[in-house]
Amino acid sequence: MDLVDFVQSITDGLLFGATYALIGIGFTMIFGVMHKINLAYAATSIAGAYVSWAVGTLLPLPALVTFVVAAIGGGIVGYLVYLCCFKFIPVTSPLATLLGTVGMLILIDEIIVHETNGMPQPYPALFDDVYFEIGEFYGIRGDLLFIFFLSLIATAILLYILYRTKLGIATRAVAQQPVAAQLCGISIERTNASTFVITGLLGGLAGAMIGASVGVLSPLLTLPITIKGLIVTVIGGLGSIPGAIIAGLLVGAFENFFQALRGVTERDMYVMLLLFAFLTFRPGGIFSKTTSRD
Amino acid sequence: MLELQALSKHFGGVHAVDDLSLTVNRGEIFGLIGPNGSGKSTTVNLICGVLPVTAGTISFEGHDITSAQPHRAVAAGLARTFQNIRLFSHLTVWQNLWVAQGRTDGHESSRFVKRWLAGDSTARRSVSDLIAFAGLSDRGDEYAGNLAFGEQRRLELARALATGPKLLLLDEPAAGMNLEEVRELDERLRQLVERGITILLVEHVMELVMGVTDRIAVLNFGRKIAEGTPAEIQNDEAVQEAYLGSSNKA
Amino acid sequence: MDFYYGLLQIIGMHTILGLSAYIVLLTGQVTLAQAGFFAIGAYIAGMLTVLAGWHLVPSMLVAAVVSGTVACLVGFPALRIKGLMLVVATMAFGEAVRLFWFNFDYQRSKGEALVGPLGGEGFKQIRYFPENGWTTGEVATFVWIWVALIMAALWWIDRSRAGAVLRAVGEDELAAQSVGINLTAVKVTAFAVGGFIAGIGGAIYAHYTTHIEHSNFGVILATFAIAYPILGGLTNVVGTLLAVIFIQGFLVEGLRFLGDWRNLLFGALIVLAMNVRPRGLIDERAMLFLRRMFGLAKRGTNA
Repeated sequence: MDLVDFVQSITDGLLFGATYALIGIGFTMIFGVMHKINLAYAATSIAGAYVSWAVGTLLPLPALVTFVVAAIGGGIVGYLVYLCCFKFIPVTSPLATLLGTVGMLILIDEIIVHETNGMPQPYPALFDDVYFEIGEFYGIRGDLLFIFFLSLIATAILLYILYRTKLGIATRAVAQQPVAAQLCGISIERTNASTFVITGLLGGLAGAMIGASVGVLSPLLTLPITIKGLIVTVIGGLGSIPGAIIAGLLVGAFENFFQALRGVTERDMYVMLLLFAFLTFRPGGIFSKTTSRD
Repeated sequence: MLELQALSKHFGGVHAVDDLSLTVNRGEIFGLIGPNGSGKSTTVNLICGVLPVTAGTISFEGHDITSAQPHRAVAAGLARTFQNIRLFSHLTVWQNLWVAQGRTDGHESSRFVKRWLAGDSTARRSVSDLIAFAGLSDRGDEYAGNLAFGEQRRLELARALATGPKLLLLDEPAAGMNLEEVRELDERLRQLVERGITILLVEHVMELVMGVTDRIAVLNFGRKIAEGTPAEIQNDEAVQEAYLGSSNKA
Repeated sequence: MDFYYGLLQIIGMHTILGLSAYIVLLTGQVTLAQAGFFAIGAYIAGMLTVLAGWHLVPSMLVAAVVSGTVACLVGFPALRIKGLMLVVATMAFGEAVRLFWFNFDYQRSKGEALVGPLGGEGFKQIRYFPENGWTTGEVATFVWIWVALIMAALWWIDRSRAGAVLRAVGEDELAAQSVGINLTAVKVTAFAVGGFIAGIGGAIYAHYTTHIEHSNFGVILATFAIAYPILGGLTNVVGTLLAVIFIQGFLVEGLRFLGDWRNLLFGALIVLAMNVRPRGLIDERAMLFLRRMFGLAKRGTNA
């Protein structure tokens, strides 16, 4: 294992980490607005990718349109998750919502398994024939670079929506002061629903990017992505979008770094222990401002 | 009995409580009043150990309890109620009081064993007494969350009493009450003093404060601006200024 | 008949797993570490019976004490965090435990074969029951004696002041502190007791399947552990048992004839159940109804 290989795998991981960042943003936004965990979020994202795959099998789509369809699919599934697990369950029963989203995760997974007979499905990649060579052994994969820039654009649009539009300002108002926001005539229910749609759009896009860079879609992706998304969310600090972005890139890089070191399976154990220690001794995440928040 | 010395609490640049010193004597009802945001609730939270103190000391019966954990303060004989009622709403009335009955005399670790061995008969009797005191005798098995507002206030007071306190901190106990309920509360507080409990009363409702307290301290912007008997406070210029604004004096 | 005994064993084992999470959930802490404690119990009890040749019952108790101790040690740092942070931190800990067994080799020869845990291959040949000639009926009875003991103990705790204290902490930590409850003691105790119970469950699991490997103890198992008490409702230990029967008996076994539609129904029914009964199958209102029906209503007023 030489240095160049290390740098190579870390670069790849960093670029792929952009998808984790998007998933982390989704988790963090839902938490910020509703103070609840949506464990079905990664499943929503994969479901969005599957929607675009299903549409693609019916009529041939240009690859770029696939991504848009995936985002729309994610938005729709996100709204369904809101209806099934959040709208009707009273606020005073957070555990019910939590378990409801677990049920939803299982349901989405099983629908996918049922429709595809559990077989992984090929997913079109973009720019996978492009390769930027730098030096003799080092280079950057075009598809990963594309994913990275796409998620940058998506994040920029999201931030624009959050900070420059009425919808975004309402969302942030509800996140910070739900009662005061309501007094100002903002409908909390509508804001919650729109948060699910927006994060769903983002998730669907992330799902398509994951599919495109892995090359296949499989229901087996949901659980690891759920776990990575949660890790990104808490490392970045709950409710912090910049935190989620940086944590996403870090997790991607670290993951590949440790993958390059494989052979020593013990590493994973230490990574998990480190994570445990990090969370208990620095509960606010990397950008901790407030110390106590649940 | 309770002594605050040069107590300060800063949140960033905001001085919520600033250099506050006061003494509450055994057996009296001491009032703490002030306009909104003057630092009354922060003071209560500092005394109970909910918030860490920035500077100054708090001593209770000669023991230093500055920044002690809340359950330690309770063990020392301090109990409180909350401005916005905080009952265990999915526990029954009975359980709410039962839970609070942790404090008995004797050593901490042995008291748990003793309680099991002795059975709960004495505990049960005193819980029944407290339920009667709160006027909830027929509602012992009701979930606390199902009680009416006034009943919840009475239950919270009873729960604080269940810890066996020497000093009771009441954070706006009359908020949201009508005149008749305030009169009832007034009566109840006098009963408590007869039982030998000292009370620190943080309140907005002047009918209650002026009628029932022995001495009053007035806070404004975290500082004490006056202290004295209710009559003295009513005629104090600084207090009138704080409440009515300085415009009418200038 | 063996099929039903087997089902009974599964239900009993999962009930113990669910009860181990029940007591932690009462204090308002959502933990995904139970699968880790379950694994510790399974491996240690298996090693004691297979490698050290102990009797099953002392092996189970030692295994439970070890996992209870580990849980206690986890409880202290975990005190500092709540909500989502705690969920992810306990999940990380559970995964660390699983990966520990993934990397753990300790084999000794027994007769002509090598036995003991072997990393990714798992721990095979935990043949205590067949070696000692237990029938499936006897094993099922053994499992349910433990279930009954644990349920009785938790029922008793629930009815005592300790149960009310656990619930008080779960509802409002600040108010609980303000009536003199020591949060640290209560939360760590709940963790330790939960770890102990999970250890017993794991020990039973190891001897029931005879072959354990690290992948049995992943996040899914941890999720099931908290799903049972939440679905059943936190008012009563019986709720957890009902939830296990509902999931393992009805959804997994009872609907087998539906083929792969069963799996679809599985998630949908959980979502539906949480919408219809957000506080669990047996909630406070159901309890009140049951108490009135059996005339047990007056506990507070008979003093």
